[in-house]
Amino acid sequence: MKNSKLLILITAMVFIFLIGPFIMIFLTSFSSDAIMRFPPKGFTMSWYAKALNIQMFRTTFWVSLQTGLLATATAMLLGVPVAYANIRFNYRGKGTLELLFSSPAIVPGMVIGFALLRFFVYVSNIPIVIGLYLGHTAILFPYTVRVVSASLRNFEGDIEQAAISLGSTPLHAFFAVVLPNIRSGLVAAFILAFITSFNNVPVSLFLTGPGVATLPIQMLSYMEYYYDPTISALSSIIIVLTVIVVQSAEKLLGISKYV
Amino acid sequence: MSLKPKTKALTMLLGAGCLFLLAFFLLPLLFVLYESFLGTDGNLTVSRYLAVLQDNQFQNVYLRTLKMAVIVTVIAVFTAYPTAYLMMKIKSSHKAILMSLVILPLMTSPVARTYAWIVILGRYGIVNQTLSLFGLTREPVRMLYTEGAIVVGLLQLFLPIMVLNLVSALENVPSEVEEAALSLGSSKIGTFFRVIVPLSFDGLIMGVTLVFTGCITAYVTPAILGGAKVLTLATLMRQQALVLMNWEAATVIAVVMILTTLILHTVLKRFRPRNQT
Amino acid sequence: MAFIELKDIDAGYEKGKPILKNFHLSVEQGELVSLLGPSGCGKTTTLRTIAGFIMAEKGSVTIGGKDYTNVPPNKRNIGLVFQNYALFPHLSVFDNVAYGLRRRKVSKPEIAKRVADVLHLVSLKGYEDRLPAQLSGGQRQRVALARSIVIEPELLLLDEPLSNLDAKLRDEMRAELSRLQHQLGITMIYVTHDQIEAMSLSSRIIVMNEGLIEQSGPPEDIYEYPATPFVARFVGFDNRIDGTLTRLESKSVHVDVQGVEFISTRPSPNLSKQDEGKSVSLYFRPDDTQIGVEPGKNAFEVTIDFSNYQGNTTQYAMHLGSHALRAVVPGKPIADGTDRTVFSIPPDKVIAEKGVR
Repeated sequence: MKNSKLLILITAMVFIFLIGPFIMIFLTSFSSDAIMRFPPKGFTMSWYAKALNIQMFRTTFWVSLQTGLLATATAMLLGVPVAYANIRFNYRGKGTLELLFSSPAIVPGMVIGFALLRFFVYVSNIPIVIGLYLGHTAILFPYTVRVVSASLRNFEGDIEQAAISLGSTPLHAFFAVVLPNIRSGLVAAFILAFITSFNNVPVSLFLTGPGVATLPIQMLSYMEYYYDPTISALSSIIIVLTVIVVQSAEKLLGISKYV
Repeated sequence: MSLKPKTKALTMLLGAGCLFLLAFFLLPLLFVLYESFLGTDGNLTVSRYLAVLQDNQFQNVYLRTLKMAVIVTVIAVFTAYPTAYLMMKIKSSHKAILMSLVILPLMTSPVARTYAWIVILGRYGIVNQTLSLFGLTREPVRMLYTEGAIVVGLLQLFLPIMVLNLVSALENVPSEVEEAALSLGSSKIGTFFRVIVPLSFDGLIMGVTLVFTGCITAYVTPAILGGAKVLTLATLMRQQALVLMNWEAATVIAVVMILTTLILHTVLKRFRPRNQT
Repeated sequence: MAFIELKDIDAGYEKGKPILKNFHLSVEQGELVSLLGPSGCGKTTTLRTIAGFIMAEKGSVTIGGKDYTNVPPNKRNIGLVFQNYALFPHLSVFDNVAYGLRRRKVSKPEIAKRVADVLHLVSLKGYEDRLPAQLSGGQRQRVALARSIVIEPELLLLDEPLSNLDAKLRDEMRAELSRLQHQLGITMIYVTHDQIEAMSLSSRIIVMNEGLIEQSGPPEDIYEYPATPFVARFVGFDNRIDGTLTRLESKSVHVDVQGVEFISTRPSPNLSKQDEGKSVSLYFRPDDTQIGVEPGKNAFEVTIDFSNYQGNTTQYAMHLGSHALRAVVPGKPIADGTDRTVFSIPPDKVIAEKGVR
């Protein structure tokens, strides 16, 4: 069947619109001009050097990395059992609980961060980093439940029952038979959740302050004061890293079916 | 007797997750809700709401946020549908490439993605340079810090979500259905609107819900492309809380934001066909 | 007391909605019993109750004299074979088969020996290192079988184990199952909806419907003397004619059907002298009918709705009053220009049962 020209035109425009900005960031990151001008003039790597040398970027990168890893790990520990229960069991009030478990994905991230700040930091006086960790865990939780559920759904319950009939306790069957077979789903969930945390701004917005910031928050505040290609260079680095992670995860795990 | 082991298992599986969400998610939210009704004398009152809702600036910002969300959603639907449709028609290897080009932006930092528009729409950006090259403008046009810039940024942010939802909805429409409609004398356009759209309606509503609520609560895009000049609900909330230290107002805006998203979710859910999975 | 004893069982997937109600079942040691019935009849529920995956809401499960009612499935030592094989996809054939032995803390050399023996038994020697994905359907089912018999279970439960295989493999595996059962003398309960499978394998068939046992007996009895209208239909007595019982004798029964006398030499044991004058139903198979004969006893004039030539046989759809009938007769369709014909049914091919209404 011939696809109409209009259809192709719209699709081409959509993809130029989606991908073009990335190319623009790459081009300006090498420009020797301190003002971002098009077409870029000259070629330099100095913006990359500058981006990597700014102390605040290095500190906040570690904060983002640690928050992301910890929050993802916690969300997985909470989410895998929930996903398992929802796939394998029917129980009263399941609908209500499923709503509860998905609600952090519906409530705006800014409000989650704001509420944690008001309640914990001001009322209970806990350190702001713990609030940051809790907020990130909360938004990743529904994510891990969803992705792990998807891979559990493809795993037949009979296989587990076979293990139990051969003498495994349900717990042993879960570790010996279920987990090894949903490994790629677990890894996919981990990667997707970590990227979500690493990129997140809304939740972090209220849970960062003097001394504690995540990388995206730090980039935002840098952009308020400076207008040079440093952010282009930093963004390019982040984009390239993301592409590498996402593409290899796609090759190995078929991550796109979980997005 | 037969239920006991199951109850025990469920408690173990769901207990930690429930406790976490109750303590670190629901409780703080309820606290904010309670706080939003708290008067200066410690009594419950709606005075905070009155102060915010009657404020002219808030009303303008709220309407502007809704307006931009509508514009972005409409454009997203009309561009994502043809894209998703074409992606279903092409070779699967080509489709896989396009899919990864859709997913890639979704996975990359919204800060980096939005920042790109500063480069593009800036004083010396590609748009202004092209306009002046053809002699269409004498002076650079100010495009940053306008509603238009925010709409463009939001569209780039949320278009992939719409495309993905439509692609997965269209994947569930068997191609035979379309061929059957064509063989029965329906035109291509007619088939699209009478057969394809109704069968992928669930995915459309899902996409609309996610894009619309996403636009209303988005912070990064209006912060970078609108700044303090063009405020939206999200940037207004931050400004009230962190710049003006007006926590009373920020609390009310937080509640308004939740209510708006919840209402949108509930209303749009009613449009979803029940018989489809 | 029988080897397996299910008493007063109420069981199902949802509490308060039991599929089995007041269910009784007993199976002797060494029997191969088939549970036969359409989907939803409760046969799989029965199997899962015996295996322990469904805990009965009421009643008791006894195996080998021990009360198993509250024993969890992992402590029951019952072999289970599934329709979709349910092999562990991440484990090799050897590790699949050794799984149950490892759970039982059997020593390593003993495991190696027993796995080798059982793989030999199912003709899968040399496949130890393959993964399930590298096996054919038939081979997978052999692994599943080996995995469940290597633990020397007291009882083997098979849930439609052959229905995912193609026809030729199914025949092969059926013969193999038969052989294994004779060789090992293990008690087996076999769930199926395929009557040919049940007939050819079992020493006893239990026909189930809506959570109840309709009939239990050796395959010949089920096939030749179905005890209920449901079983009759299920084993192919597709035709039914209603009439009035005129005379019941020890070996025959006389029935009046719209003025024609019908004799059946196979009266149901359910009929008694008191039923004379009451309504009865006659059941017979489409391929036991004759067509185009002289009117007389056991013969009727019927209207042919259509005939369908199938090579060595012809299928007729006919009706007698409000009864739709089917006949499968050798040869070509009769072509005498009318749609009326006489069909008859030999007295020893008709079973007479109490009326359905």
